[in-house]
Parts: sequence; structure tokens; C-alpha cells
Amino acid sequence: MGLIYITVFALLAVSMMLAPMASAASEDEAEYSEMITRDFSFRVGEGVRIGDYRVELTNVVSVMDGLIEVKAWKRASQFEDWRVMESRRDVNLDGGQDRGGLTLMVTEIFDRDTVRMRATYRSDYGYPEKYITERAMAPRSLPKLEVSTSLDKSIVRSGEEVKVTITVRNVGNDTARDVALQELPPLPQFRYIAGYPPKIKNQLQPGESDMAIYSMVAVTEGEVTIPATGVRYADSKATIYSDRSKDVSIDIKPKRRPDLVMEVQTPGPIDHGGQGIINVSIRNDGDGTAQRVEVRGQVRSGGDGLRLEAGSLDRIFFEIPPGGVEVYSAAAVGARGGSYAVNLKATYQGEGEMMQEETAFEVSVLERKHKYLYYLPVVPALIIGVWLYRRYKEYKY
Amino acid sequence: MLNVLMLGIGQCGNRILDAVNRQSFGGSSKLSKYYSRQKFPSRVETLAINTAVNDLKELKFTAAKDRFHVPNLHGVGANRSLGKQGFWDNREMIMEEIEKRGDFDVAFVMTSASGGTGSSFAPLVIHELKNRYKNITIVAVIVLPFREEGSIYLQNAAFSMRDIMEVDCDGIILVDNQYLKRLSGDIKTAYDRINEMVAERILFLIESLDSEMLSVTDLGDFKTVMRGGLRMGTLGFFEADKKTPTLTSAIEGSIKPGGLLYPAEVYEDAARAMIIIQGSREYLDVDEITKAVEKLSTKMGQVFKGIVIKKGRPKVLSVFTLAQVPDLELLYSQAAQAIQDEKSRKTKAKKQLDDAFAYIEDLEEVY
Repeated sequence: MGLIYITVFALLAVSMMLAPMASAASEDEAEYSEMITRDFSFRVGEGVRIGDYRVELTNVVSVMDGLIEVKAWKRASQFEDWRVMESRRDVNLDGGQDRGGLTLMVTEIFDRDTVRMRATYRSDYGYPEKYITERAMAPRSLPKLEVSTSLDKSIVRSGEEVKVTITVRNVGNDTARDVALQELPPLPQFRYIAGYPPKIKNQLQPGESDMAIYSMVAVTEGEVTIPATGVRYADSKATIYSDRSKDVSIDIKPKRRPDLVMEVQTPGPIDHGGQGIINVSIRNDGDGTAQRVEVRGQVRSGGDGLRLEAGSLDRIFFEIPPGGVEVYSAAAVGARGGSYAVNLKATYQGEGEMMQEETAFEVSVLERKHKYLYYLPVVPALIIGVWLYRRYKEYKY
Repeated sequence: MLNVLMLGIGQCGNRILDAVNRQSFGGSSKLSKYYSRQKFPSRVETLAINTAVNDLKELKFTAAKDRFHVPNLHGVGANRSLGKQGFWDNREMIMEEIEKRGDFDVAFVMTSASGGTGSSFAPLVIHELKNRYKNITIVAVIVLPFREEGSIYLQNAAFSMRDIMEVDCDGIILVDNQYLKRLSGDIKTAYDRINEMVAERILFLIESLDSEMLSVTDLGDFKTVMRGGLRMGTLGFFEADKKTPTLTSAIEGSIKPGGLLYPAEVYEDAARAMIIIQGSREYLDVDEITKAVEKLSTKMGQVFKGIVIKKGRPKVLSVFTLAQVPDLELLYSQAAQAIQDEKSRKTKAKKQLDDAFAYIEDLEEVY
């Protein structure tokens, strides 16, 4: 029994002797433990457990500036730290990875709530485990602006006006302060005529919205993307936030243009001294209305051989709508044989610009028919016949 | 320019006139009147006169206006008495038809001596012409019949000739069908040939009288010739050819019986003559002509000569009147015999008729 006691005692004594050595060995082991790096995402109000450490995302200070605010602490220890972290910059907590602590780095800030982070630590701490903090459970008092850009029409004609409406709504539960739209350079595809650059209220109460409207005229053709509109604002703590609308596209079609097509139905060859009818058809094949259409006809060469009845080819039409047809006729009198070129010119107004259409056609006038020539062979026969008849009568008793 | 009247009276005269008109067209074609014009050497007016309208219709080359039908007569049936009566009944109308053709220097009255109309009208027409036209020379062209044609024709010829001579006709040109029928086998062709011959010679004569001659003869000479001898004569004609190219032979040919219209021995029977020679200058040797004419003159007495220069071989027309006409006496004797025969036949027929009627003398028809 005594031996047992002695043995136990001895074991205790040995263990007590070996205990500091063991401690030193564990420290060496920690000192030489393997490091691992883990990436994880979490939202404001969420936390991540890494070993005994707890890291909570308390705020995304600025997405644009890449600043977030985290709270870190270690269970069963005095370590607790609040840090503002800058994107892409290592932050050592509790001595950092080299001293058994954590080394954190913000790799990406998705928005005002979500952040991706990279943590380097001793591998024995295990995988990061996400959890919800008590703070996240409580409602936050923050402004949140939503911005949208809309056009009054998605397809316009070149030269037409389009209105751009920018709407900013505070969907948060706190007043948005220092609200300002980001100024974008004017697009070369448009000519801005009113309301540009757009302005909105400086402050927006929760649920309040404001809009800015500006007008512009399309000056080119093709599909144009109007870049997203950005808005910056701050909360009561002067924390700056931002938001962007979506890009919008607009299709700029070519201008509406009238396109007059003149078709002329010419008469066949006109007899010398005869009359032929010229039928003129003016059709608008364009998609715009031709206005103040003025048609003028003129015989180009040797005009005195073909007489147009005074002004008969000249016409004025107030307008010819797209697809519309105007038809009229004119009489031409052949005064001398030959082929005569007639020029027909239509000037008209379409979408504010003067246009013209021209066509030419030929009218043939037959040479004078010497009808008596046909009688020439008959005349001698007639004369002979008359002569013979007279002789017959002269000698008939 | 001579103003010539050519009258064709009766069927024979009409046909001679038609032949004259045909030759005046310058061609022998039947259609020449349709394509040609009459070319008379002088101003020639033609007129065909007949009592038978069918004879006038037979004419082909005489204009309708130049055919005169004596109204209301259809021929006189070779009866000169009816013919004369017809003329007197229509004298003014006939003469007016002639007179409206103007004034004339010479008239040729062509007729048959044997027919009815021509033989009866011709002396009266000549007489009227002599009364109405002063200084006109009237020559009758008288066609004597075939001797066997019939007794009436013979007596008509005899009396007609006498009548013509009595009305102071300037001359008679005799044409004897009996003599000329030798020209062709059939009568129709012979008639046509005779008519053509007469027409040719008369036109030749007119042309020569109205032409400028190398040796001059004129209408006066012609009248002198026609009034010589018995005032009856005829025409001879000859055209030189390769067989008889000389002028002398041509002149002699024109007076030989073969070239005459009436049988005569010119050297013996001729009283006066006119020789008209026509031809190219190279053929016309004046000395040769003179010698030939002198030869004729020694036998005939007066011979007029006329020379007309015209392109072609020599043509010779001889016009002469006869101092004696032996065949004429023969004709008249035949005519007298024919009259006697006709008279006896008539007497015999009348007697037979009277004897026949004697059977019913003093009887009445009983029914």
C-alpha cells in the first residue's frame, strides 16, 4: 500500500517535474503550428467564429472608399477591439497570425451590407463559422436611397426629343443627407435642351422621393446606352453612402423623311399637230409627309416642237402623306417632228428641310405625214383613167 | 395653113373618113386613139354624115361630135330619091353642122357613088357648099362599086356622077373598087385596104400642099390640075424601097396602073398632073426630078411638081385628071343596061301582077 502511495507520489512528482517541460513543448508547438488562410463573406450584423476569436461586421462605412468597421474579441480573454478596416490592407488582431492572433484583410465590399474578407490564422483554430449577432437582430436606423433612370420612350427618331427622368427614393429609415447626383458628361449623341444637369433635393426623409427631369434631342442614329446615374448621400453619422441606377438604352432611328417617286406615263408618238396625254403619278414612298410639293415641267430641248398646254405639267400640292399618291394629266401638242426631252422637277419640304425629286422623259412627235404621197401612184392612174374615159366618151357614138 | 373640110357621106364615105382619122393618130393600132392625138398637117375638120345610125356606130376613130345622123332616117335603102328628100328635109341642120366648123379653103367630099345616102347627098352637099363658101375648092372622092354588086348600085353611080359634075365640083378623084379588089382576096379586107390607101394619099396631099416645098405647088395648082380634062382624075402613089431606090423609078411607079386608084394609062389619058415628091434631101435630086417631070409633060401637057424635104425614102404622089376615061363609058353602058334590065323586070312583074289581079276584077269578097 505504501508502495502504491509511493508510486503515486513518485508519479505526481515526476509529472510535476515534467509539467513545465510539457508547457514549453506546447509553446514550441504553437510557435511552429501551420498557418491557413480562409475567405468568407458576411453581412453587417453577422459575425464569424475562428477558434476563440469572434469577428463581427458592424458597419460598411463607405463602399466607394472601401472602409468597413469590425468588432473583434476573444472568448475567455481580455481581448476586444473595434477597428475600421481599409480595403486590401492587412489588419493584425491580437498580435496577428504570428502571435496566435488573426490577420484580416477586406478583399471586396459588395455593397453597404456585404463584405468579403480573408483571414490568416493557425490551422488549429478550424474553419470560420458564421453567426448572427444580437446587434443585427435590432433594426438599424440608416438612410437608403434607390435611384432609377427612365426614358419617356425607348425608340426615338433622330431629331426627336426624349425626356430622361431620374427618380431618387429614400427607402431607409433615416434621413439621407447631402444627397447629390453624380454629374456625368453630356453624351455626344444628344443635344441637351432643358433641365441638364439634373438636380434633386439635398435631403430626403425616409419614404420621400424626388425626381429630376431633363430633355434632350437625339442628333445621331443607332443604339445608345445612357450610363447609370449615381447618387451619394450621408447618414446622421456623416457616413457616406452611394447608389446607382441601371443603364438604360435608347434606339435612335433615322429621321422621318418623305420620299417622292414620280412616274410618268408618256403617250406614244404624237402625230404632227396631234395631241398626246401625259399622265403623271407622284407617290410618297417615304415615312414622312411631303409638304408644299411644287411640280414644274419643262421641255428641255427644241421646246417649240412640243407645246405643253400652258402650265399643264405644273402643279402644287399642299401635302402628300406617306403612301399617298397624287395623279394628274397634261396635254402636249406636237408642233414639229422629233424627240423631245421633258424635265419634271418636284420640290418639297420634309421634316424641315427642302428636298427635290427630278425625272425626265421623252415624247416623240411624228414627222408631218404627207398623205398626198400615197395618192401619187393613184394620180397617174386616175389621169390615165380619166383620159381613157374621155377618149372613150369622145369616140363613143 | 389650109383650112380643110373632109366630109364622109354614106357608109363608104364614113369609112374612108374613119381611115383618115385613124391615120391621123400616127399609128395603125386600134388603141391609138386612147394614147395619141390626131396630127393633121393643116386645120382639118372631119364630119361623117349618114342616114343610117348603125353605120355611124361602126366608126372607131371618128369623134362622136364628128358623126352626124340625119334625123328620123334609118338609111335610104340605096334609093337616091329618098336620099335627096332626106337631105332637103334636113338641109339647114346638115349645113349648120358643117358651118359651125368654120371657114374652109378646100373640101373633100368622100362618098360612094353607088349607095343611097352618099350618092344622093354628095351632089347636094357640094352644091350647098359652093353657095355658102366662096372660093372654096371642092374635090369629090368618089368610090365606084364592084360591077357585080347590083343594078341599083350601078345606076346610082351613073346618076350620082352626073349630078356631081353638074353642081360644078372642082374635080373628082375616082376610086374604083372593081379595080382595087385585086389587093386582097376577101371583100372586107379589100375595102379596108382601099380605104387606107385613099386616106393615106389624101393626107399626103394635104400635108404637101401645106408644107414649105423646095419646088412649090399649092392649092391653086391642085385646083388647076383638078379642073383639067374631064375634071375626073385619080391618085397614084409610090414609096421607094430597096428594090426601087431611085427617084425616077419612084416617080414612074406612082403613075403606073399598079399605083393608081382608078385604072388609067397616064401617059395617054392624063390631061394635067401634079407630082409631089417627099423624102430625105439625099434622095431628092432636082435635076433627076426635073427630067422625069419633063418626060411626063411632053405627053400630058401641064405637070406641076412639088418637092417636100422630109426624112425617109422618097414617096411620090401623083394627082392627075384624065382627058378620057374609057372605063367610065363602060360603067355607064353597064349602068344603062342595068337600068333597062331593072325596068323590064319591073314591067314584067307589074304585068304579072296585073294579070293576077284581073282574075278578081269585078268580084267582091263573099263571107
